[in-house]
Amino acid sequence: MSHTAVVIAISYSLAVAICSVIVVAVWRSTRRRGKGIEVETVERREQLWFVAVLAVLAALLFGTIFSTPYGKSAGRNAQVVRVTAVQFAWSIDPPTVQAGRQVVFYLTSTDVNHGFGVYDPKGVLQLQAQVIPGKTVEVVHTFKRPGTYTVLCLEFCGVYHHLMQTTIEVKA
Amino acid sequence: MSDDRAAARSLTLRYLLASTAIFMASGLLGVLMRDSQAGLGRLHPNFYYAIMTAHGLGAFVGWAGFAVMGLAWWVLHEAGFPVRGFGLLLARLTWWLMVLGVAGIVITTLLMNFGASWVFLYPLPLYGAGQWGKWASALFSFSVLLAGLAIVTWCLGILTTVLGPGLHAVSKNVFNRFGVSIGFGYLWPRRFATNPRSVPYPVIPLAVIGLDMIVATLPLAVLLVIQIVEAFSPGVTVDPLLAKNILWWFGHPVVYLLLFPAAALYYWLVPRYAGRPLVAGNVIAVAWTVAVIANVFVFAHHVYLDYPQNSIQAGINTAMQPITYALVLPSALSLYSLGFTIYRSEFRWTPASAALFLGLVGWLLAGLSGIVNATIVFDVAVHNTLWVVGHFHHMALLNIGLLIFGATYALLPELTGKALYSERLAWWHVGLTFTAGMTAFALWLVQGLEGAPRRFAVLPHRYDTLTQISIPFVFVLALAQLLFFWNVVQTVRGKAGVAVFDERGIPLPAQREARRGVPTPVFEAGIVLVALGLVGVASVAGFVVGRDSASATKTVTAGSPSSAPTTTATGGSAKAGAAVFSSAGCGGCHTLAAAGSTGKVGPVLDGKPLTTALVVDRVTHGKGPMPSFASRLTAQQIRDVAAYVVQSAKKP
Repeated sequence: MSHTAVVIAISYSLAVAICSVIVVAVWRSTRRRGKGIEVETVERREQLWFVAVLAVLAALLFGTIFSTPYGKSAGRNAQVVRVTAVQFAWSIDPPTVQAGRQVVFYLTSTDVNHGFGVYDPKGVLQLQAQVIPGKTVEVVHTFKRPGTYTVLCLEFCGVYHHLMQTTIEVKA
Repeated sequence: MSDDRAAARSLTLRYLLASTAIFMASGLLGVLMRDSQAGLGRLHPNFYYAIMTAHGLGAFVGWAGFAVMGLAWWVLHEAGFPVRGFGLLLARLTWWLMVLGVAGIVITTLLMNFGASWVFLYPLPLYGAGQWGKWASALFSFSVLLAGLAIVTWCLGILTTVLGPGLHAVSKNVFNRFGVSIGFGYLWPRRFATNPRSVPYPVIPLAVIGLDMIVATLPLAVLLVIQIVEAFSPGVTVDPLLAKNILWWFGHPVVYLLLFPAAALYYWLVPRYAGRPLVAGNVIAVAWTVAVIANVFVFAHHVYLDYPQNSIQAGINTAMQPITYALVLPSALSLYSLGFTIYRSEFRWTPASAALFLGLVGWLLAGLSGIVNATIVFDVAVHNTLWVVGHFHHMALLNIGLLIFGATYALLPELTGKALYSERLAWWHVGLTFTAGMTAFALWLVQGLEGAPRRFAVLPHRYDTLTQISIPFVFVLALAQLLFFWNVVQTVRGKAGVAVFDERGIPLPAQREARRGVPTPVFEAGIVLVALGLVGVASVAGFVVGRDSASATKTVTAGSPSSAPTTTATGGSAKAGAAVFSSAGCGGCHTLAAAGSTGKVGPVLDGKPLTTALVVDRVTHGKGPMPSFASRLTAQQIRDVAAYVVQSAKKP
């Protein structure tokens, strides 16, 4: 799993655990007879809940919105790799890059939408971006470890979509 | 009045029964797909994708959408908004358009091989790679157009009904009436309220989606017409990125075509089982007011990973994250209200109410994974992986689906006047659907976090173990739906006599069951045991996976050097090569008459004076757009396929 995936896994599991406790509490509460709720109080507190949800979302927004993959530009020393996708093949030029040095990928497609997904030798997803026909997408990435990286197509592109793969060699 | 009631009854029943039939068919397609991925009954890749297209549209629009669209008519009628005149006409037209649209989708996918997926990302429908032709593409687009028109006529019918007689007394001004229908009366009582409480709560989400889906669907209709024209005159084109935005302009709100009517049904039914009115503050109207705007401006969270140079797309995408977050509000407030409606109430537990309760749990889970998808940084890790598939199955089957099951069990007796055939079957159906569905879909979430791509007919082998583990759960899930289907069929046939209701309007178990009924605690114990059993199986599975993947890594590192080309055979076998040609996907790009392939991406092979050495070189090293197959095929396989191609190309 990538670091991001681990963060997602942990926070999602935590949230589900908390929600499960609430769900069980609500379920159990219907078993005890004769203890109603103060409807009006609960209705007023819904405003509080509204504010609480807003606050949590605002925190999450400010914690994440500044780390989008957009608008990253490569340094002068970057290695340029041109990637062209066609139904069901990748052309990667050059197919070999150096580890530890920035790589700037220029992605384009000559037919339909494709997805450029790069997995490290252990099968962990390193980066992905959409490849759009007739447009060029610029993606900057630095490979940390040498090895054979696998490229899969991550946007459905037709009958042999799942066979559309190739490799990138990362040298030390 | 009784005429209105009879009309609404037969209308809702018609939607409900048609959508249930579509559900059974598209569910079966889903099972076939997962089986194929697990290696049980492997399908031809294009057939897999054709099934995927039919399953997506069938289950999402033809079942879940169609069912809640139908139930909405009953809610409106019961809430004091009779479906009459023009509204009734539109409601009937919608049914026909939807049924015809779904029939067209079934024909073009399963019989004409159209397999561009239900999102049919332009220009893929026009690039069939020899698998489907222009007629399939045009007819498919036309069928989706019919389903789209069904959505528009439904929306017009909902708005006609909501703004019609029910609110006529309020104001002559149609904008005022619309304001009332989306709950403005809770916020500005002087101008919009008709009595202490504005409109009944269930009306609000229906009015919101009734307006939004018209706005959302019309651009898609234009795109579909262009796709039909382009199939026959290739000169007409659209910018692919614009087309993607148009698709999602529709594609996200259509999720709420399921969720908002579902919310209306929860608002309508949960209070009945809790024995108290919906516990809701005025603030819930704020959330729905936000929803009416935000709903149509969240489309770009589906294209977070499209950011070409010299384009404003990245800016649009960034703006969509907060707007998508805003859509958490209607869900969060609805869950608060519904949760407190149940909390410490004298809730009557029946299969129907249990399904509604568990549906709320599904809503919660799907909402949480949805927040992950809505966050750009997280989306980079899970976009187009099986995580997304897990997310929307939580939403579609465990939220909307359970709601539809609950509403069916709760309302079928009311709609048909016949008692539910068996509460016992219904308990089993609800319990098994929740537990098996939860497990099968959680496995998708895990696979997605491990990077498993979605929409792969054949997954990379490292994901096989979890796929295989999910199969028993998929089977249990599928079998449980047979219980549902049987129960509905027998109820409609009147096998359990006349329906009887308690003082809250909740249907009582059929006479024959009431006598020998198994006490509820036994069922609870049963469900808890099943759940524990499943957890046990899942943990054993987790252990096995951990062990398996550890040993698999070792095998690969140890095994790869020895599997390097050590064979000394000089020639290849053309016979074996035929299989390689088909399994490696050569035919996707190359035309070769002997293999029946008609790919047009690379050169035609028929009639070419090829040599074995040349083919071996091209397949091993690739050239231009053709990739190297050295890492995918063994040296022997490459010699085999070369022998086959050279031999077949010579044939006249």
